[in-house]
Amino acid sequence: MSLLNLSFGELLGLAGAISAGIIALYLLDRSKRRQLVATLRFWTQADVRTELKHRRRIQQPWSLLLQILSILLLLLAIAGPHFGGDESAFRDHVVLLDTSAWMGARTRTGTLMDEARAAARAYIKSLPLRDRVMIVRADALATPVTPFEANRVALEQAIRESQPGASALNLEQAIEFAQRAQRLQSQRAGEIVYAGAARVPEQESAPVQAPSNLRVLAVNAPQENAGLRKIGLRRSPADPDTWNIFVSVKNYGLRPHDVQLALQFGGAPAGSKAMTLQPGAEEQATFEYKTKVAGYLEARLLPEDSFPQDNRAVIELPARQALRVVVYSAEPRMLRALIASNPQVSATFEPPERFDPQTKADIVVLDRFIPPARPRADSIWIQPPASGSPIPVRETKTGITLEHWRPETQLGAGLHTKNARIDSGEILSAAPGDIVVADAAGGPLIVARPSTPKIAVIGFEPLRSSMKYELATPLLMGNLMRWMAPETFRRWDVQAGTVGAVNVTLDQAPDPSSVRVVTENQRALPFTIEGNSLRFFAGSPGTVRVLTGDRETVYSLTLPDVGDTAWKPPANVRRGIPRAAEASDTGIDAWPWLALFGGIGLFIDWLLFGRSRALRLRAARIAAGAARLNAWRKAS
Amino acid sequence: MAGQLLETALLEKLERLTIHWQKSLPGLVGGHNTSRFAGPGQEFLDHRHFHHGDDLRAVNWRVFLRLEKLFLKMFQLEPRIPVRLLFDTSDSMKTGNPPKFDYARQLAGALCYVGLVRLDSICLQPFANKLGDAFVASGGRHRFQPAVNFLSAVKTGGRTSFFDVARDFVSNYPQRGLVIVISDFLDDGDCEKPLQYLSDFGHELILVHVWSPEDREPPWEGELELEDAETGQHVELSFDAEARRMYTQAFDDYAQSLRRVALRNNGRYVGVPSNVPVDEAIFGPLVRAGALE
Repeated sequence: MSLLNLSFGELLGLAGAISAGIIALYLLDRSKRRQLVATLRFWTQADVRTELKHRRRIQQPWSLLLQILSILLLLLAIAGPHFGGDESAFRDHVVLLDTSAWMGARTRTGTLMDEARAAARAYIKSLPLRDRVMIVRADALATPVTPFEANRVALEQAIRESQPGASALNLEQAIEFAQRAQRLQSQRAGEIVYAGAARVPEQESAPVQAPSNLRVLAVNAPQENAGLRKIGLRRSPADPDTWNIFVSVKNYGLRPHDVQLALQFGGAPAGSKAMTLQPGAEEQATFEYKTKVAGYLEARLLPEDSFPQDNRAVIELPARQALRVVVYSAEPRMLRALIASNPQVSATFEPPERFDPQTKADIVVLDRFIPPARPRADSIWIQPPASGSPIPVRETKTGITLEHWRPETQLGAGLHTKNARIDSGEILSAAPGDIVVADAAGGPLIVARPSTPKIAVIGFEPLRSSMKYELATPLLMGNLMRWMAPETFRRWDVQAGTVGAVNVTLDQAPDPSSVRVVTENQRALPFTIEGNSLRFFAGSPGTVRVLTGDRETVYSLTLPDVGDTAWKPPANVRRGIPRAAEASDTGIDAWPWLALFGGIGLFIDWLLFGRSRALRLRAARIAAGAARLNAWRKAS
Repeated sequence: MAGQLLETALLEKLERLTIHWQKSLPGLVGGHNTSRFAGPGQEFLDHRHFHHGDDLRAVNWRVFLRLEKLFLKMFQLEPRIPVRLLFDTSDSMKTGNPPKFDYARQLAGALCYVGLVRLDSICLQPFANKLGDAFVASGGRHRFQPAVNFLSAVKTGGRTSFFDVARDFVSNYPQRGLVIVISDFLDDGDCEKPLQYLSDFGHELILVHVWSPEDREPPWEGELELEDAETGQHVELSFDAEARRMYTQAFDDYAQSLRRVALRNNGRYVGVPSNVPVDEAIFGPLVRAGALE
């Protein structure tokens, strides 16, 4: 018996204090009231015997006794005495409430989550009141919602607030968590109860080590479902305005399904395909869609089934951003082929006399002239006159041989020539920090300066020497533009997938310092790199960007992760709601009876001695008064 | 102005009422109640033998020519008699919620207004252990405001002594008339004999017994320390339902004794609890008892 966590003496003291208060209130209630009356003649005529009663302070001892007894009973009820059984026999149970994405599937009466919540409630209701329960929401992660808690209201609130998530169930991890919690935090381990549909991913469908105290509260889950599994988008290498779209659809059910896959972009149909999905099969559909504008691409799977969350996915497509290049040249014909041939470049050619330092361009190309003011944008200078070159010209030579490139730099990557002869060129003087791209015998021929704005100087006219036949010339121009505007040339993929663990396959093992994985709020997500494989975990739906060098992959993780198979619990696992007798110990909680008797005692006192009598008298008086008034009116 | 005591709507309703008395009282012509006393009226009543000193204008000369005997014609008289309103101002009238005194003042004002409308002469006479200063209202309804002012200025105080009051009244008002007593009749002494004395003197009595609900059925319970509003005497007692029943019985017996006094002397008794609105009391029991018609 806990007795309000008081010792017996303290409880007696508390009861005495309360009794003293009751007696004081009693005496106050029964104290004399001073009243002014019109006359005393009728009071004396009424033969009220006052002397005997007046000398007794306590005039209704039975009322006082009844009140004290009732209050003591209520006090004992609050103490919660428990008779019989083991006083410390309460057990600690863990309820694993499945909140995986599949629990949002519809049933006839609601969702699977509603059934799981009802089962969890029924289980808790069957437990003795002293037993404590920990509620754990189980999906890809096991998240405890409450500690071991005996308060049924808190448990009910935790169950009520549990909603289906977006990830698949990791049952093994959830059971391990429950075992660990019982081992570390409980005083006497009870059951581990799983309530849900037990739909797990295929890779986790291996037999789970079911503990001996596991109980399964299974819900009637629908079997048939077909849904979108993955969507991938990539700009076509041949035409940047064309998107290659890959859609993966899976049949999770046991019967073949005929489905219609429809794509819409900005509300307009963008493609459709009828597919027949075999049980357990995953099929892919490929589409091409050409657009320059940004918009939302929606993939929809028809007809609707019991789990509509994976029948629709929406991806936002960005608009294509072309690199704006302004070329100031007196002879633009040859440079046009070199620069404007790139579909990602929007080139404008102007004569030198129309030079504007504040022209709206990403890159300005200056062909063999010195502008009156340096351009604000990044600039590529082709054989500038020595007097005004942004990178000092050491000397001007004729008959130069480009001896070697610097492939270790980003600008020189992939460039190679053999005995390239240059009729006339400038030997540049590179400052510390400058990037030398190519060298001749006398010094650097091509130098880049990573300042703001970026500057690159080519000390010769590449299209007026043997270099115009070299593949290195367009590659050099491409490297320079990529170095100056890396965002434009970054490879850009969009993937729509499921939340949870995401595995990204890279072209090569990257430097971890150059890799960034960020959410839509620019919050960095932890990731691991193993070889050329990058892994990260997204616990909630959203957008994750993976930036690796010149490649950016956007993951729109909005599809629910649906388990592939239903886990079959072993035969020895207990199932269903236990009977009350099975769940309870042999002790008896006395507080309901004590509270009942206390309440009855107070009610009887109220009836016999308390205000009820006054109420009854008042009501009777009102009724009698009304009757008397009527009689008086008639008689008068 | 009269609205301070009585509402205008009530005054308008009171205009159709008349104070009624049953006794045949002598008085001057101009009243509205017939009397058995013959006098200078309009309606023929009877003949009687002529006696010396009778008014020769009333001799029936036609009968004399036929019978050679003098007979006198008598006419029915409707005398104007004095209406005296005695209202209790003792300390016991302060009790009740609202105080009985306020209620009594309203009743007195209403009866005064009814009399003024019929051109009766109303004497407002407060009393406690003796008669207070009286106010005579007469001359029509436009003289009602002074009566209201008088009633509003009256204060409570003193103990009730019906014996002294009756003695003073008889000595101060020798002309018989209608006496309306508005009181709680809570006199420590006997009030039946003084009332009987008034009646025996020739006055017609209308007893308006005003009580508050607490006077008849006290709502309190348990140990009480009671103080008499008039004497200041204290009594401590325990009061319960049985005692309340006995108390009410005693009160009702007392009211019944008052009724007997009134009826025995051809008077009228009206009991009015103070929680009944004044207009209901007037148009209800006072009209039904015949005090007003």
